[in-house]
Amino acid sequence: MAAADSNPFLRGVGLSKSFGHVRALQDVDVDIHEGQVLAIVGDNGAGKSTLTNILSGVFPPDRGEISIGGEPVLVRNPRMARNLGIATVFQNLALVDARDVACNLFLGREPTRWRYFVDRRKMRDDARKIIADLRVNVPSIAAEAGQLSGGQRQSLAIGRAISQQGRIVIMDEPTAALGVRESRKVLDLILRLKARGIGIVVISHNMRHVFSVFDRIMVLRHGRVAGVRRKGETTPDEIVRLIVGVETLNPSGSGA
Amino acid sequence: MSGGPNLAGGFDDADESVAEALRREAIGPLQQSHWQTFVRGGLKSRNLIVTIVAIALFIFFSVATEHFLAADNLLNILRNLSFVGIVAVGMTYVFIAGELDLSVGSAFGFLTVLMGFLVARNGFDPWIGMLAVVVVGVAIGAMNGAIATGLNIPSFVVTLGALTAFRSLALILSGQNPATTEGIGLFYDVTGGYIGGIFPWLVIWMAAVMLIGGAILAFTRFGHHVYATGGNRDAARNSGINVNRVKIICFMLTSGLCGLIAALIWGYLHVAAPITGTGLEFRVIGAVIIGGVAVTGGRGTIYGTLLGAIIVGIITNGLVLLGFSQYFGDVATGFLIVLVGALDMIVQRGAARGLQYFER
Repeated sequence: MAAADSNPFLRGVGLSKSFGHVRALQDVDVDIHEGQVLAIVGDNGAGKSTLTNILSGVFPPDRGEISIGGEPVLVRNPRMARNLGIATVFQNLALVDARDVACNLFLGREPTRWRYFVDRRKMRDDARKIIADLRVNVPSIAAEAGQLSGGQRQSLAIGRAISQQGRIVIMDEPTAALGVRESRKVLDLILRLKARGIGIVVISHNMRHVFSVFDRIMVLRHGRVAGVRRKGETTPDEIVRLIVGVETLNPSGSGA
Repeated sequence: MSGGPNLAGGFDDADESVAEALRREAIGPLQQSHWQTFVRGGLKSRNLIVTIVAIALFIFFSVATEHFLAADNLLNILRNLSFVGIVAVGMTYVFIAGELDLSVGSAFGFLTVLMGFLVARNGFDPWIGMLAVVVVGVAIGAMNGAIATGLNIPSFVVTLGALTAFRSLALILSGQNPATTEGIGLFYDVTGGYIGGIFPWLVIWMAAVMLIGGAILAFTRFGHHVYATGGNRDAARNSGINVNRVKIICFMLTSGLCGLIAALIWGYLHVAAPITGTGLEFRVIGAVIIGGVAVTGGRGTIYGTLLGAIIVGIITNGLVLLGFSQYFGDVATGFLIVLVGALDMIVQRGAARGLQYFER
């Protein structure tokens, strides 16, 4: 992809994290570009969650540095990450089921007038704009989140992340627990966001889904980078071999 | 999700046309299926159902008894439920934030004794006394909330402890005989008195608390955060809402309102008995639950709570007029609480099953 060689929006160098004597992540470098989809794959315990938690500010790395636009930054908590333009869509989706779509889109940052009162009209109008803009199919702005389908909920969570001025969005298993049609909608949304220059990180187990959206793919194994490949330079088979660590099965398939 | 990479999942080519159709649909206008309209209507009409029940009870007792519909009896009902109604506003906040406050009855008792102690025994102006018991009430709530959230102890446990402790403190502070007052002056007129000799001031106080409490809950940013906190604590926290602060404020509000009714009952009865408010917690929680506030947090309105309190008041009063002993009112209230809880569960399970079906 064209932007691949430009400077990354976010760069992580030598990221390491241990829990007790479990080395969850060792010397991992990661680049995230705007307008690109980076897929992170790996078996359970490979370090995917550790890496995304570091990037989204859930906990700091033991060693290593994160820089944004070339400037080193400290990401101490999710709120700080958000202010730096890193939005995360957590696996539990973080929606309040009993509240409507508009309330969920503006959760914790409701527009107000007279300082204390929620400006409902503005909230509804803006929510309608965001929903229309992202072409997310929800029955109504006034529908409660709990009534939405899995895909709609996922889209709503992503929509919220984007509307918070996210320059990059980290999605943890965005298609897990979704049906085929619902997954397709979410993947379409990812491609639309990419087209608008937003950087996207997708963690997924589903190789078909990963291959339908990624620009670069990073494979983690035992907390280390097992390989990074670009779209068109790799095959699902090669990625699977990198994931499980048996590169010798078919030497001709190796990329870099 | 568990397991390794999933090569089998995803789309088959046969799905392509379906996906296309869905993509077109996704771009189409915002629309709503019949099923969703139904579920949403069911949830929204919760207040409607409570309203209908209240009206039905009203009509029933109007027809079945001779005196129910008399103006003085209706005002009597309102006056009798004003103490429960005022605290129920705070309890609604606490419930929606996903917590519970069992200490309201004994906090009320303790604060009433404190009111008598300050005004009758130490000569404070009753308005100062009112301010003092509200402030002490708010402090009790802050303590309950801080312990529950700070140490992450269920509020059920913390406020049960407070229930026990404050009842005993009330007994200790009151000494042998309860404080009393002659009750002369403006304070006593506008708390326990009647407008034009008919309309109880207590009802005005309740109306004011409900209007202000309802407006704050429904329209302010804080109110929205209360709903978010009880609806999904992690989501609220992730969105930058200080959920512990929200909960503590809800507890402060509830205990502060206990201070308010302590001053009001002093103005009304002119006696500060240490047993004041025994069992109040159950009547308050009963009104809140009957009014449709979710025990699990995240749902409810002050309007529903008002109707819940009115329903309890009508049943208690109506049964007495029908010749039943006063205690049958509590039996009926208890029955109603369980009935509402059961209906709620059935509706929720039905909705969950329906949605599964819808998603397929």
